[in-house]
Amino acid sequence: MSDEEVIPSESEGSGREGLEEAEADASLEAPLPPGSLADARDDIPPPRPSILHRLTIETQAEPHVVEAAALRKQTRRDFLLFGAGVAATAAGAWWLLPKHLDSVAVRASRERFLNRALTFDDDVAEALYSRNRIVQTYSRKDVTPLRNNYHNPTPGPGYLSTWSLTLTGLASGRDAVLSLDDLRPLARREQITRLVCVEGWSAIAWWGGVRFADLLAAYPPHPRAKWAAMESGVTDYYVSIDLDTARHPQSLLATHHDGAPLTLAHGAPLRLVVPMKLGLKNIKALTKIAYMENEPRDFWAERGYSKYDGL
Amino acid sequence: MADEPAVEERAIVAKHHLLVRLSHWLNVPILAAMIVSGLAIYWASPVHQHPPDRITGSRDYLADAGAFVARHIGVRDVKAQREWFYNHFSIGVFQLAQALRLHWLFAYLFMLAGLMYVIGIFRSGSYRAVLPRRGDVRESFAMIRYYLRLGKHPVVTSKYNALQRGAYASVPLFGVLAIASGWAMHKPAQLGWLARMFGSYDGARFIHFWTMWAFIAFAIPHVFLAIADGWDTLRSMVTGWSARTGAPHE
Repeated sequence: MSDEEVIPSESEGSGREGLEEAEADASLEAPLPPGSLADARDDIPPPRPSILHRLTIETQAEPHVVEAAALRKQTRRDFLLFGAGVAATAAGAWWLLPKHLDSVAVRASRERFLNRALTFDDDVAEALYSRNRIVQTYSRKDVTPLRNNYHNPTPGPGYLSTWSLTLTGLASGRDAVLSLDDLRPLARREQITRLVCVEGWSAIAWWGGVRFADLLAAYPPHPRAKWAAMESGVTDYYVSIDLDTARHPQSLLATHHDGAPLTLAHGAPLRLVVPMKLGLKNIKALTKIAYMENEPRDFWAERGYSKYDGL
Repeated sequence: MADEPAVEERAIVAKHHLLVRLSHWLNVPILAAMIVSGLAIYWASPVHQHPPDRITGSRDYLADAGAFVARHIGVRDVKAQREWFYNHFSIGVFQLAQALRLHWLFAYLFMLAGLMYVIGIFRSGSYRAVLPRRGDVRESFAMIRYYLRLGKHPVVTSKYNALQRGAYASVPLFGVLAIASGWAMHKPAQLGWLARMFGSYDGARFIHFWTMWAFIAFAIPHVFLAIADGWDTLRSMVTGWSARTGAPHE
């Protein structure tokens, strides 16, 4: 093997540096080229390499002479540590990969761990969010076809004639039951934004409706409320929306898509449009909004997806 | 050895900073996890799609390639053919929630390892060894000729040869590209400026997918060449030192 060759010491000085120093010297300080000091005379300072030169030109590492026994000991230690790392990685892979989960206990510990990672990522998303940051909008010609991604069969039109929107957890202490006509006093808004699905596809869609913020102003929630539990009694679907997101100027309660009233496929007669959240938060056929202090349940969060889903 | 009164000595040279070595090995499981989870995410909505196949209904070029291989290694079941690629190179089909959770976890670890690497190369100054320099293109071709047994090994007086410099300098850049495109896809609303740097959300998806192939295209010859280069090279990535103290590679 190549390292068995006997290499004569080329290092200057005693060559008696200890191994720890050899380690520390891994931070090579780009010394002046050897010989430059010897050339230096009292009257002429040695030429200093330019900063650019020192920052960019590779310098040859200085060899060290070390005790072979100590080197062997340290090498053995390093490889044992490396082996421990490989073993830990193998154990970690077995623990993390879903196919090898036989025991409930292992599954529970893995779920807790992965959920913590997911919560961390949600916290990052929440830290990134700003109610003043406007999501990119598009023009009419950018609009793309919008897929109907109902996870269950698209509901039939039977519910439309009896549809209403119930608001609970209001500051008034009484529940409100609204029809589409009750939303008419609120200013109508239109926006063309991108809907991004957790699956990876996206679509640019043209929406019309009222601002969620305007509904919140017209029917104020309880002052301690931080969350809106959004539910569809039509499809048994429910999502959690933090009120900071609900108050974003681009959070819409949409009644129109592509300039026409919402079709059954896209959540007639009223749906949520939150372009700063994943598509799965844009609940269709909305029938109830319950304002509450604590985080409500969320359909996909119960199925292993994140809760906040901020884009 | 016990009866040897004189102390046995060896000349060594510092080669890889501790943080560089740690991040190098951490990247092996991290990138493996990113790929097996990333492909399971890709399955849910492939970047490269064609109109649905009349017989199988498939839209996914990657699944098609897998089905082609599966047919030729004797997989009979059509469903098994269609899912062969994802069942062998990802955590599987219909694993989106699990894949996303793994992908986010390892994405943060990947960024941490990248940070360790950057600190390591600047603390040790070893970043200088991978900076491109004049004559690298010519020397790279000479190295390729050597690997193909069409020519002699060019004289290399630096830590790495030109081909290594090119590879070791571009892999961190692919890492930066993977992280940037990943964030652009993950937070296209809050980081809209980043998504627009990739053209659009879909541009970021395209780049992110292909950085995976860049890592694979690097890793396969890297493993072979590191093994071919010998024990000193492999050991140096564990211990940090090399016994090759200066004689140029011939």
